[in-house]
Amino acid sequence: MTTTADELMIERRGHAGSVARRRMNFVIFLGPAIVLTVLFFAVPVIIDVAVSFTDLSRSLRISEFTTEQYEKVFRTDRRLSQVIWLTFIYVFGTLAIFNVTFGLILAITTTAIRNVSGSFFRGVWLLPRMSPSVLYILLWLWAVSPTEAGLVNQVLMQAFGLDAPLDLLTSAPIALIIISNGFIGASMGMIIFTAAIRGIPEHLFHAAAVDGAGTLATIRFITLPALRWPISFVTIYQTLSLLVSFEYILLLTKGGPFYDTTVYALYVYRRAFESGQYGYGAALALFLIVIGVVVALIGWRFFDMERLLQRPRIEVH
Amino acid sequence: MIHWKFGTAALLSAALAGGSVVFLAATPLFAQETVKLELWSRQDPSGPLRPGNVVKAAERLNKELEAEGSPKRVEVVVRESPAKGFDDDALQLLKVFGVGEGPDMFIAAHEWICAFQEDGFALKLDDYIAKYPQHFGTIFPSLWSSAKCPDGTYAIPQDAEARMFFYNKKLLREAGYDAAFVDSMPERTLSGDLTMDEVLDIAKKVVDKTKAQYGVLHRPNKGPDYIMVFNAYGNEFVDPQSGKLLLERDKLAAAFGWFERGVKNGVIPANNTAMEFDALRKEFYSGNAAFWMYGIWDLGSVAFPTYGLPQDEKAFFADWGWIAGPAPEKGGSPVSLTHPIVYVIAADTKEPELAVRLLGHASAADLNTDHAVTTTHLGIKPEQLEDPRYAKAWPLARATELLKITKFLPNNSQFGELNGIIYAGIQGIESGRLSAQQAADFVIEEASASLEDVIVK
Repeated sequence: MTTTADELMIERRGHAGSVARRRMNFVIFLGPAIVLTVLFFAVPVIIDVAVSFTDLSRSLRISEFTTEQYEKVFRTDRRLSQVIWLTFIYVFGTLAIFNVTFGLILAITTTAIRNVSGSFFRGVWLLPRMSPSVLYILLWLWAVSPTEAGLVNQVLMQAFGLDAPLDLLTSAPIALIIISNGFIGASMGMIIFTAAIRGIPEHLFHAAAVDGAGTLATIRFITLPALRWPISFVTIYQTLSLLVSFEYILLLTKGGPFYDTTVYALYVYRRAFESGQYGYGAALALFLIVIGVVVALIGWRFFDMERLLQRPRIEVH
Repeated sequence: MIHWKFGTAALLSAALAGGSVVFLAATPLFAQETVKLELWSRQDPSGPLRPGNVVKAAERLNKELEAEGSPKRVEVVVRESPAKGFDDDALQLLKVFGVGEGPDMFIAAHEWICAFQEDGFALKLDDYIAKYPQHFGTIFPSLWSSAKCPDGTYAIPQDAEARMFFYNKKLLREAGYDAAFVDSMPERTLSGDLTMDEVLDIAKKVVDKTKAQYGVLHRPNKGPDYIMVFNAYGNEFVDPQSGKLLLERDKLAAAFGWFERGVKNGVIPANNTAMEFDALRKEFYSGNAAFWMYGIWDLGSVAFPTYGLPQDEKAFFADWGWIAGPAPEKGGSPVSLTHPIVYVIAADTKEPELAVRLLGHASAADLNTDHAVTTTHLGIKPEQLEDPRYAKAWPLARATELLKITKFLPNNSQFGELNGIIYAGIQGIESGRLSAQQAADFVIEEASASLEDVIVK
């Protein structure tokens, strides 16, 4: 008597599959992916580690191997603590307000209304993601322009009688980078959560309605529990994504005023490419990789991803 | 049989003879060698003839080579970089040289040449300059000091200019200053009577009493003009004895203090460094700012063609004017800054002699005057002053008055990086993140951590 697992194994591997054939299949099907992974993921990390132990500077020349860059990271760079704190605020703020919470609200509301209207609003919220980064930020720059021509100032001055135009790029730069990134980030959560909500069996909602559950109770006891896996995934994925992305910040505030919006990834860029300190930039980037791995592992543990990734306990015959 | 042999021999002889004639006739063509010299230049609307003159110079050099009977001919290939400024361009070019893809010649801001020299990318030119007095003999001696590194000359001056505070006389009159006061400002500045703080006071009055929104505007990126303010407060940035970078905390704080007072009084906008270059120019030339700290070439490059400022001298000075960087206190010394652009030859070019001769022709008085008068830059040779076109370009003659008090940025290989830190300090002050003293501390901390051999006093 064979178990279900044994049957599945036989089905997958085939009765007559030889070792050579399996190896050949491995090379054909997984080879390209492995080569790409090594080339674009493993090799850059190895190069980064190697460069971080050199004095590679503006003319891309190495005169010695040194641990000087790590001494700088730990001893002399006083800006680093401020940069790490800002990065925490930026990542946490963007995630908590937009990428998860607002994405969830969008998904719940657009699935609760008529299908056509829901699709329309989801389409609108997808627009920023589909626009080229430069165009999207140009619109932001116009919206927050510190002159009377800026969209925000036009609204505030004409509708609310504000006297002088606001300069949000100087007075609230951190809020601006969170909002501008969040408007884009929310759409990813929205799509994933929408798909998950659509996957919840319809009869559960009917049963809840029969039992007298209101809208909030339905969301709390049926929708949210079913979204545990997507929420965990979006949180971890977007955390890692926000940690390493800085292009919108660079375009919107250039990391300023002063260092106010220089998040860690942008700091690495400024050190390496604006000051020509490539060795130091590599050492800083290595810490970003370490931070990324640590955050991913914490998330894995915190959300119990292992259990969520287990094979569904549904018998297949 | 004999006939056949005779015929064959005759045919062969004819073919050989014909071939020889063709070969001999074609010999000069085959022997002529075209030498391609690559010139790196950033795309810069304020100086299109910097590379353009080198291209034209190739024609002159080729005629000279032909007259000498040399088989070589020079072709200039211009490689344009899209960098926004000379600092970005130099950093990019250092990388290009680093990977062995450097050009034969390049155009750079003078303060960067020692960075190239230090890494062995620039050719030492002292012997060549002495060898070709017909090309380089009359270049103003003062300009050569901007082309030197500690052990010799590594560049050929291409132009010079003057940095100043432009001001809008109409706004000053509207604010209540009489015409005599407004017109006497340049003279008072040169005599040390008008001070840096008086500029802020005048700007404040303009902001308070007219519709103008801004008092003083300055460039929104790293560059030379604001260094004039630091020079005014006594910062030289280089220790004359050792040639190392020198940072003096009190003098830095004094210069930053001027920016701090400007922002606190509502004269310098807090977001100056976040504004676009063109937007700043528009604010000044359209009458929304009292002062604009920039350079003389802005008149020819932007003010006249784009904003329609009067090109006639009298009409211009009726409503517009400029002053040097004022002294920090009454009786002190005013300052101005010139920022020569230079030609540099790569150390590994295969044809250094031809490159030198080519740049010698590009430095000809007539070609340099073409550049000077079309972009309002100062010439490099005294004979240019006699050119009627140069004499007619009044901004050049008037700006030359400032050369008496002008300074250069230091030719230190790390100054470009230090300037980036100073600019960040200004940004910190203007955005309210740092006080003047904190900005001085910030510059010293950052420079000590990221640059080598910095002397702090």
